[in-house]
Amino acid sequence: MRKIMEEYTTLSFQRLGARQLSNLVASGAMSSSLPVLPTPLEEKYPKLPDSQQVSLEREIMANSVPPHATQLASNSGVVGHMFSSASGFTTDLHFSSAPHERHFTNAPFISQSSSDGISLPLTRSSHSGVFQSRPMSHYPRENNNISWSADQLQSFLDFPENVPTQNNQVESSNSGIMPSDDNTKRSDWQEWADQLIRDDDPSTPNWNELLADTNVADTELETAYQAPKPPQNFLVQQPQVHQQIPVLSGDLSSVASPSSSVTGVPNKPRMRWTPELHECFVEAVNQLGGSERATPKGVLKLMKVEGLTIYHVKSHLQKYRTARYRPDSSEGSSEKKMSAIEEMTSLDLKTGIEITEALRLQMEVQKRLHEQLEIQRNLQLRIEEQGRYLQMMFEKQCKSHNDRLKTLSSNLEESSAPLLDVMQHSAKNEVEPTKSCAETGNDIMDASAIPEESSRKMSRKQKEPESHSEDLNLEGVSGSDSPPIKRVKADDRSVASAKLASD
Amino acid sequence: MKFGKRLKNQIQETLPEWRDKFLSYKDMKKLVRLISSGPSTSEELPDSGKAEAEFIYLLNSEIDKFNSFFVEQEEDFIIRHRELKQRIQKVITTYGPNGAQPSEVDYNKEMGRIRKDIINFHGEMVLLENYSNINYTGLAKILKKYDKRTGGLLRLPFIQKVLQQPFFTTDLVSKLVKECEDTIDAVFPVKDEEGRREEKGERKVAMLPGQSIFRNTVAALVTMQEMRKGSSTYSHFSLPPLNLTDSNYSVLPT
Repeated sequence: MRKIMEEYTTLSFQRLGARQLSNLVASGAMSSSLPVLPTPLEEKYPKLPDSQQVSLEREIMANSVPPHATQLASNSGVVGHMFSSASGFTTDLHFSSAPHERHFTNAPFISQSSSDGISLPLTRSSHSGVFQSRPMSHYPRENNNISWSADQLQSFLDFPENVPTQNNQVESSNSGIMPSDDNTKRSDWQEWADQLIRDDDPSTPNWNELLADTNVADTELETAYQAPKPPQNFLVQQPQVHQQIPVLSGDLSSVASPSSSVTGVPNKPRMRWTPELHECFVEAVNQLGGSERATPKGVLKLMKVEGLTIYHVKSHLQKYRTARYRPDSSEGSSEKKMSAIEEMTSLDLKTGIEITEALRLQMEVQKRLHEQLEIQRNLQLRIEEQGRYLQMMFEKQCKSHNDRLKTLSSNLEESSAPLLDVMQHSAKNEVEPTKSCAETGNDIMDASAIPEESSRKMSRKQKEPESHSEDLNLEGVSGSDSPPIKRVKADDRSVASAKLASD
Repeated sequence: MKFGKRLKNQIQETLPEWRDKFLSYKDMKKLVRLISSGPSTSEELPDSGKAEAEFIYLLNSEIDKFNSFFVEQEEDFIIRHRELKQRIQKVITTYGPNGAQPSEVDYNKEMGRIRKDIINFHGEMVLLENYSNINYTGLAKILKKYDKRTGGLLRLPFIQKVLQQPFFTTDLVSKLVKECEDTIDAVFPVKDEEGRREEKGERKVAMLPGQSIFRNTVAALVTMQEMRKGSSTYSHFSLPPLNLTDSNYSVLPT
């Protein structure tokens, strides 16, 4: 981190020029349309075959901008569900049994919840607006704009340490010169923020194009997701699909994961709240005369939500009361105290405009992080999904191959012991077939297309620790249906030739 | 190794209450080393088996930790989200042009406060998403290490379970974030020059709480970018490089 900061220091020196407020104001009105999304698929990293790449992008986009209806369907009309954390694996067995049909029965709730209060109609375009080049007319592009923030905000940052006002006034009067190391470092934050929000590669249009295909991609995606999976593993897309509001679908399902032996963690029913459930809660509270007068018991009774316990309501009520009497600010009482002090001293220094700009910058950075996280998450999901699919395919191949092997090897055993020895020497690794199936299944994930050599692994009978070839890059895994098939064929050949030879 | 360091940096920058909620990456790595060194030495089997059991136990309890923290934060967010919307509505109906006591000064003053709060709120939610992601990444890495060292097959099935865990299913938070953005865009439209000059003289609350969020956010972005640069163990499971900046600035020391 430090090194990076130093690098950025030099940059920030260059970029801090004289700032004039008029400049600031003028350039603030500039409309620069910033393509917001970087391209995640670059030349540098191994290319998937083109078709794969495109469909991957599509699915990513489809994932990150789910259709309005589906998203609402999954999250609204939903009830907080409870699940236990037996081995930390709270599988949604009963969730998965809530199929898509439920979406549509919740339609009335959808329209209700989406139009409450001030929340705007979340139209499709507003979502996609996130990804397309939004006219960021307010976004300061010029160096000058950032330099002011570097200077002013850095005194913000100094606050916890330098309380005396004079210090900051001195700093803020310095035009463009950063006297101390500390200040330099602090201004780096703004530099980073700026750079992180900069213009991206020209290849971002990819995303915009893909976005147009969201509709199509969605249906594709849905089928893709459902095809390889049994209904049990209903993927994360809509984890909260449930019955209508008053009924909590969740029982305290304690599902122990098969892969963990010792849990040691006590079963604690954990409650997951949703906006709808909270709305129901608030209504009950209001009926009982407000957050101060309402009692957990009363609220519980009014809500009539199955599976909700008084314990849940009690803690939620407590949070609710706190939120109301300490109108939204960041958490942590220590921070609050500081902000009270700061309020007095800072007000003389910071003008409204600067604060506005600072907030804007903050917002931009946050938006950016959010987008990136969404993309990253979807990629991760996709990757694991693919891995699982491959594993499944491989296991299928394995099984049929093993069955075949058994019959063939019994033939071999009779006559070709010396020949087997020869074959064994030629291969590096020797693994027992059934074990290698699963392990090399993992290998497939980590290795490139398996060379023919390794096909001989399959016909070995002896057991030996397997060496994984993790360092190989995986390319064209998407087409890795072929390696298993190839292997089978290769084996057939080698076994068949052995058989022939023995004849 | 790098991840551990980056995680540590991230934790340092994070909001104070979150510090101990992150993955104990270092500890788990130690365990993995312990496990893998077990069989090869003359230690008896129970020992390495014990380390292994401990590893699994730690995995599960870490996941529990994430889940608890995440779900609790989420609950807070739901409450605060609604309260913010209420506040906005109240200000509009009170001080707005059609309100009970229309007053532009009061309106702007209150809205200014709300704006700061809502932006910080937005930031916290995004940071929670980041929290979820970084812990997931850590888990994936440690599982990969485990498999590599012990020749086990823990990774694939385990990660599938993780994907379904509450702390990773961030759809709701994501939705709240988007709603928040929409609200901000609607209620705090981009001001033109005129509006800016008017704001000049206004007194505003200091945004110190926002600073830590801001820093944390920037740190998170930088971390993400760095983690996704090419590495020696790049595989099919790795994410592609992240390009957030101009090429001029993308040269960072490793």
